[in-house]
Amino acid sequence: MASATDSRYGQKESSDQNFDYMFKILIIGNSSVGKTSFLFRYADDSFTPAFVSTVGIDFKVKTIYRNDKRIKLQIWDTAGQERYRTITTAYYRGAMGFILMYDITNEESFNAVQDWSTQIKTYSWDNAQVLLVGNKCDMEDERVVSSEKGRQLAEHLGFEFFEASAKDNINVKQTFERLVDIICEKMSESLDTADPAVTGAKQGPQLTDQQAPPHQDCAC
Amino acid sequence: MACEFNLNFLKELEREAVLEVLYRDQMVRKTEEERIRKMKLQLQQLRWKGAKTARQEYQERSCARCQKSLGLLMNRGAVCNGCSHRVCSECRVCLNPCLWKCTICYAHGDVKVKAGEWFFEERAKKYPGAGRHETVGAKLLESYQNLSKISVVPPTPPPFTESAAGISVMGKELGESKRFNKSVENLFLSLTTHIKKISKSQNDMADRCVLTTDYGKNVERRKQRRSQSDTAINIASRIKSTPSLQQLITGAQNDSETQSKSSWKEEDDITTSPTSDAVFCDGRKHGSLYSLSSTCTESGNFGKANITGEIEFALKYRFRACILEVCIKGCKNLAYGEEKKKCNPYVKVYLLPDKSPQSKRKTAVKKSTVDPEFDETLKYKIEHSQLSSRQLQISVWHAGALKYRVFLGEVVIPLAAWNFEEDSMQFDWYPLKPKLEKPEDGLIQYSGELLVSVRLLVPAQSQSFQFEGNKDHGVLNCQLQVMIFGARNLPMLRSAGMLNSFVKGCLILPDQAEVKQKSPVLKKEACPQWKHLFVFDGVTPAQLQQSCLHLTVWHKSIFSSSDQFLGGAKLGAKEFFGSMDLASQRMLQWQEVLRNTNTWMDFTLVLHSNKENFKS
Repeated sequence: MASATDSRYGQKESSDQNFDYMFKILIIGNSSVGKTSFLFRYADDSFTPAFVSTVGIDFKVKTIYRNDKRIKLQIWDTAGQERYRTITTAYYRGAMGFILMYDITNEESFNAVQDWSTQIKTYSWDNAQVLLVGNKCDMEDERVVSSEKGRQLAEHLGFEFFEASAKDNINVKQTFERLVDIICEKMSESLDTADPAVTGAKQGPQLTDQQAPPHQDCAC
Repeated sequence: MACEFNLNFLKELEREAVLEVLYRDQMVRKTEEERIRKMKLQLQQLRWKGAKTARQEYQERSCARCQKSLGLLMNRGAVCNGCSHRVCSECRVCLNPCLWKCTICYAHGDVKVKAGEWFFEERAKKYPGAGRHETVGAKLLESYQNLSKISVVPPTPPPFTESAAGISVMGKELGESKRFNKSVENLFLSLTTHIKKISKSQNDMADRCVLTTDYGKNVERRKQRRSQSDTAINIASRIKSTPSLQQLITGAQNDSETQSKSSWKEEDDITTSPTSDAVFCDGRKHGSLYSLSSTCTESGNFGKANITGEIEFALKYRFRACILEVCIKGCKNLAYGEEKKKCNPYVKVYLLPDKSPQSKRKTAVKKSTVDPEFDETLKYKIEHSQLSSRQLQISVWHAGALKYRVFLGEVVIPLAAWNFEEDSMQFDWYPLKPKLEKPEDGLIQYSGELLVSVRLLVPAQSQSFQFEGNKDHGVLNCQLQVMIFGARNLPMLRSAGMLNSFVKGCLILPDQAEVKQKSPVLKKEACPQWKHLFVFDGVTPAQLQQSCLHLTVWHKSIFSSSDQFLGGAKLGAKEFFGSMDLASQRMLQWQEVLRNTNTWMDFTLVLHSNKENFKS
C-alpha cells in the first residue's frame, strides 16, 4: 500500500528515455530485514521506521550516472514473506543483479541466506551478480551476526559483502553502485567472449578501464 | 501481516497493489521498447546517410560511408573487418590501437549493447525459450484480464500523455477505489495459482523449443500451413490422385534422415492432409529435387541435394527510375537435373519476403547444357527505402518433361548490406547452395499491404476530463474511425482468378468483447480501393489503451460458402507472437492514434498470412 501512493513520484523518471543502459535489479531476503527501506533510502532518500509489509512486488526507477554512462535502474523490491514466493521468484529471471539482504540483529534472517542463494541459482541466469548486504548496522547494541561471519559467508558463496544501514544512510548508495559496476563488468566480459565481428564495438574503453571504487564495510 | 479480522479487505488491497505495480512496469517496458526502436531508427538513418544517391557522381574507389573518393597511393582507405567495405580514415572509430570499426559497424554494436541484448543472449544459454519481450508482468497482466471480466483501467496514465498527468492520476484514483471492490473474492489466491500456471507454461515452451531445436521451425510450420491454404490446393489434389508416389517417398527415407525429419513428421501430424513437402523430401535419390509446379517450390523442406556449380550475375539499382535490375549472365558446372545427363536450366528470382507470383521473375530455359548463358536482365520496380527489408532469392532449376522441376541450387542476397553503385555493374560468380534448413528466420509471410487512416474522435467538452469520465461509460462517447483505403500486392489465388475482396475489422476490448465491422465486396480487382469507413462507437481512450484492432482481408468465393483469408494486420496493445519489431511498431502506431486525438493518422500496414493469429 505504501507502494501504491509513493510510486507515482517516480513517474517522470520512469518515462525518461535519456539513458544508455537499463539494468534490472532485484532485492531479496527474509521478511522485515529492511529491503523496502533500503530501496526507499536509495531512490527517494527517505526513511520511515514504521514497518509496512510489501505486497508481492514493487519497483522503483532511478537513473544514475556512472562510468560516463547514464544507467537506468529498475529496482524490484520483493515481499519477503513465504506466501508471495510464487510471484517473487517469477521475477528472478529478468534480473541482471541481486541484493541479498539479511538483518544483523536477526540470526534467522542470516541463516536463510544460503536458501536465498539457492533460489537465485535455481531461477536466475547463470551469471547473476549478487551482493550480500547485512542491514541495520546502526543497531550495534542488538547485533547478533558479526561482520566477520557475514564476510565469511559471502566469501563462501562467492558474493561481495557490505554492511549497511537504511536508517542512517550507510553504504546504501555504495551497494547499488558496486552492483552496477559488477554488472557492467559482466556485460563487457560477455561481449568480449562473443563474436567480435558482431559485437566488436563493445570493448569500449569506458567499460573495461573502469576501476571499482574503493569501498569499506560499515565501520560502526 | 496483522488484520486477521479483516482478511477479505486486505486481499482486495493486495490485488489492487499488485496490479498497480504491473501496470507501472508495463509503462516502463513500453518506454524501453520505444527507446530501443528509436536507436534502431537512428542506426538506419545513419546507414542511409552513407547510401549512394542518384544526384551525385561517384568514382570507382570511394569510401563506403562518406563517399569521399579514395586515392591509389595516398589515403587509400582500408577494409573494415566488420562489414568488409572500404572506408576512409575519418569514418572509423578506434576501439584500441590495433582495432577499429567503420562508423556503421560501431553504431550497430553500440545499439546492441544499449538495447541490453547481451543479457538476453547470456540468459538464453540457460533458458533457450525465453523471448526478450515476454516478461512475467506482461503475461500476468494479460492473463489476469482474461481471468476477471471486470474492466480494469490502468491506474497510471498512459505512457505518452505528458500533459495533465497529475490530474488524470487523481481522477483515476477516485474512480478506482469504488470500482475495485465489487467482484472477486480470494483474488490473490487465483492470482498466485495463475502465476503457477504461467510459469509452468513457460517451462513447457522452453522444453518444446529444445525438442524442436530452434525457433525457426515454428515459423516454418506457420508457413507450411499457409502454403496449404492457398497455393497448394491444386497440388494436394494431384497428390491424392497418385498416392503411390507419396508412399514410395516417405517409405524411402533412410535412418540418417529420419533423425532430422522427426520434427517434420510431427508437423505432418498437425496438418493431417499430406503436405507438398513430403514430395520434396525425396531429393537425395537423384541428388536434386523435384517440384511439381513452381508456385509450390517455395513451401518445401529440402533434404541434402548434390548442388554443384556457380552462377554469375550483377545487381544494379537505377535510383532515378526506382528499378532494381538483376542481370543474370550464366552458370557453369551445374548438376544434371536428371539421370541421363539431362539438364535444361533456367533461373528464377524472388524478391523475398514476397513470394507471390508478382515477385517472381524467370529467365528463358536453355536446352541441354550445364553451362548455360542467359544474358537476361530481370527488373523490379521498388523504392530504394524498401530494399533494406528485402532479400533476393536467385535459384536455378531444371525444366524436365511433364513439368517436372528439379532444384539445382540457389543464392540468397540480403539487400540491406548491398552496396549499389549508380553507373557500374560488377559481375561476380556465386557458388550455388542448397535450400536453407530454416529460411529467413523470423520473416512471417508477406501478403501485401493495407492502406488505412485512423483517428480517435473525442467530443470537445470531455477532452480535458478524459479520465474522470471513466466513472461512467455512458458519459464519454468517443469514436474510433478507421478508413480503409485500399490494398496492394494481395496474393493471387489460383482458383479464383480475380479477387472479390472485402475487409473485416475486429476491435478486441480489454474485457475480450469484440466489436466487428465489414466492408462491401469489391469485385474483380487485384488492387481493391474500398474507401470504406469503419466506426467503433462508445469506446473510451482508456479502454483503447488495452485494446487491439485486427484488420483482415478476405476473398469472397462465389461458389463456396466460406471466404478465403488473404492476409491480416494488427494495430494496438495486445502482443502475440511475431518479431519484437513488428509488435512494438504496431503498439507505437496505436499510441500515436490515441495521443493525437481528432487527427487522421495514415498507416501502411503489412499484411501477414498467418490466419490463426487474427480474429475476424
